[in-house]
Amino acid sequence: MSAKAIERSLWALFAAFMIAVPWIVPAVISSFWVSVIAEILIWSLLAASVNLLFGYVGLLSFGQALYFGFGMYGVAIGIQDLGLSFWPAFALGIVASMTMALVTGIFAVRLTWHYFAIITVVFSLIFYFLALTNKWLTGGDDGINFALPPTLNIGGFSKSLTDPIFQYFFVLCTVALCFFLMHRLVGSPLGKAFLAIRDNDMRASLIGLNVYLLRLIAFVLSGFLAGVAGGLFAFFGRYASASYMFYHVSGEAVVWAIVGGAGTLLGPLIGTTLFILVREIVSTHWEHHSLIVGAVAILAVMFAPKGVVGLWNDFISSIAERSGAPAGAVELRTEP
Amino acid sequence: MDKLFLLAMNGLIWGLIIALIALGLAIIFGLLDIINLAHGDFFMVGTVLAWATLQSTGSFWLAFIVAPLIGFILGALIQQIVIKPIRNVAMLSIVATFGLSLILQESVRITYGPTPGRILPPIQNTIHLFGVDYEVYRLFAAVVAILALGGFFLFLQHTKLGTWMRAVRHDREIAVAMGIPAGRVYMVTFAIGFALAALGGVVAAPITTVDFRGGVDILPFCFMAVIIGGLGNLPGTAAAAVLLAFLEGVIQSVADPTVARIASLVLMSAVLLLRPQGLFKGLTR
Amino acid sequence: MSEPTLRTEGLTKRFGGLIAINNLNLSLAARRLHAIIGPNGAGKTTLFNLVSGLLPPSEGRVFFEGRDITGLKPHQISRLGIKRTLQVKSVFPQLTVAENLWITGQAGRGFLHPLRAATSDRQTREMVERTLAQIGLSSLSGRQAGTLSYGDVALLEIGMAMISQPRLLLLDEPTCGMSPAETERTVSKIRELSRAVDIIIIEHDMEVVFEIADDITVMAQGAILACGSPTEIAADERVREAYLGRDEDEDYVEDAARA
Repeated sequence: MSAKAIERSLWALFAAFMIAVPWIVPAVISSFWVSVIAEILIWSLLAASVNLLFGYVGLLSFGQALYFGFGMYGVAIGIQDLGLSFWPAFALGIVASMTMALVTGIFAVRLTWHYFAIITVVFSLIFYFLALTNKWLTGGDDGINFALPPTLNIGGFSKSLTDPIFQYFFVLCTVALCFFLMHRLVGSPLGKAFLAIRDNDMRASLIGLNVYLLRLIAFVLSGFLAGVAGGLFAFFGRYASASYMFYHVSGEAVVWAIVGGAGTLLGPLIGTTLFILVREIVSTHWEHHSLIVGAVAILAVMFAPKGVVGLWNDFISSIAERSGAPAGAVELRTEP
Repeated sequence: MDKLFLLAMNGLIWGLIIALIALGLAIIFGLLDIINLAHGDFFMVGTVLAWATLQSTGSFWLAFIVAPLIGFILGALIQQIVIKPIRNVAMLSIVATFGLSLILQESVRITYGPTPGRILPPIQNTIHLFGVDYEVYRLFAAVVAILALGGFFLFLQHTKLGTWMRAVRHDREIAVAMGIPAGRVYMVTFAIGFALAALGGVVAAPITTVDFRGGVDILPFCFMAVIIGGLGNLPGTAAAAVLLAFLEGVIQSVADPTVARIASLVLMSAVLLLRPQGLFKGLTR
Repeated sequence: MSEPTLRTEGLTKRFGGLIAINNLNLSLAARRLHAIIGPNGAGKTTLFNLVSGLLPPSEGRVFFEGRDITGLKPHQISRLGIKRTLQVKSVFPQLTVAENLWITGQAGRGFLHPLRAATSDRQTREMVERTLAQIGLSSLSGRQAGTLSYGDVALLEIGMAMISQPRLLLLDEPTCGMSPAETERTVSKIRELSRAVDIIIIEHDMEVVFEIADDITVMAQGAILACGSPTEIAADERVREAYLGRDEDEDYVEDAARA
């Protein structure tokens, strides 16, 4: 079986499993874990936003929680204070996070390396404190709770996220759509330009790429992903709180992305799954799972900086090499 | 007016303590090129060590030696075990220090416990200053901080190790070519960084809480001092720390403390974007 | 007399107290292959950096085909048709050879589609295949550029320069660090290119210079020392003094000039 065929059958299995979750999982374990899987999917988008910037463009942002927060509060405030229904509120969250990404990105993207990382934290701290102090708007640390409007309301047919199966599929479809868009992006001309900038930004500018503009575009796209995650989170819990804008949240997303595999499509999903599963399983017996997160973060950087998916890709390539894969045809990979 | 004096004085003294901690961050950032997200937790460990020393020996004064010493050893160990092996994935060092921060916080939570505690100042008197009864311990803390700062700068200027540190910071390749053992310098730098933060923790312990989350607030403040003071500009960093804390103290007399913090952060962003070499470059050379 | 390809007016670059380029008035005619030679520190690479926009001049102007390009950003200058290679060979290490060429071919286009598959662009794909054949790297197209040998990286760089359809090509020490065989290959590629493109090369290898250059400019200490045809330069006393200063090397230059 060739490497490609292995990959394709794994994908099919994976898709089948994800679709069957609301029925398989309660039968084997309990229905509680269906909502855990939904949560994993939501947080994996935040990890994906970190991964897009770091793995594909070479910018390490430690402040994605800011855009997550704007997506989250866009939905919460939209429904609670502005009386919006489902889709307009979702749109508000996404637009808010993308706008924020644009405005902060204009400044942040002028810096690189350490200073970029620092300023992303600084921006996110500024808005964290603003959210904390403006309790009238954000509920501060305690947050806002709100009632969930229906998602679909066509004729007499109404579906809402209070239905756990519908909620799961809504989250699954949204997250799958986002990952699909990322997949297309990476294989596209724009995606290749990102990779060039990541590899050698001076060379990139010398061949005619507008490095600043491209970085800014990537930053806004990451803001989109984080905003979708935030919006989904708000819908999922009917809740929004400033504490989710703190840099610890950003930091954890970075760890998930790195451990999962930076610069790979599924890396963020794998990393998030690993950590949230560990958290859920460990915390029933032992409350100090943060120790594990910290230790794994350090070990991953020391011994496996390419992450789980990175190691897997290396393994697959070594198999492909040994079975004598042909070169010669002009090859543009879809997964770098 | 009294309130203003109180807050300003507190701010000034707090700034001196932060200057000590921020210098530790500055040498780690400046020499090893690492964004140390665990630095606030180094400070926190210092406060816990002060508490532990007090508990076990009954003497708070002993902590002034014990905490920096343990901090030094821990710093050296961490540098050798974690930091050194990851030199080839430099950008990821920030992830490693984040992990370290989680480990430190959680370890303290396990051993010391989750509830914040207080240490009574060893000097309980107050002195009458400008119409206010001011805690003598705070003045003492200021003196200790100033002495420590002075000692540190003397160390940098007049000892062989200090000169090595300055050389490696200035130009690593030439330093190595001249026979300076860069690896050892890195280890000592990280160790001193931890020790300075721990010392700051001891000095600050009686005027703040001993809490496993105590480092979370200190970290951004230290980074502000380093950036605004200017990377590589150690006196600038110390000056920025004092200035920022003093200003925040003053602003607190008329506004919410969070507003003061937001103002500092905005200033820091402005410096990063407009004058990345810091505000004090050229004023102290 | 047609417009010179590249012209500088009073171009000066200072780094603190150091003057790297000193009031340089250069004029390079079109349809020629120019070589710029000179001792280390003469300012040759700095000149390239100024022309390609990586450094802003302290004073003076740069004109490309009559157009003032002073102060433009590197990517803007690149889009005008000036492409360059770097002294230390530099490509995109984690991309494959084909992808390196592909992105270079696409980069000048302006709009980069965010969703359509890159492979579906037939025009660029054909350009890549053609260029691969021209530089002789077709068999390595799927290899990561970071794993290539030094000579192959240099060829890839030249390929990238070719695929971008340059109007002016700046080559910074293209044969640096190469074996004689690799140098041969590179020199013939450069000669091929020079039929369609204006080229300026910085070189230390005198044999290469005298083999392919139409005009030679000698720089020293940030200024032009001499300028002219290869024979003129070989005979120039000042050039020998500044550049060489030792008898054996004088003969070397003469031999190279006559070769």
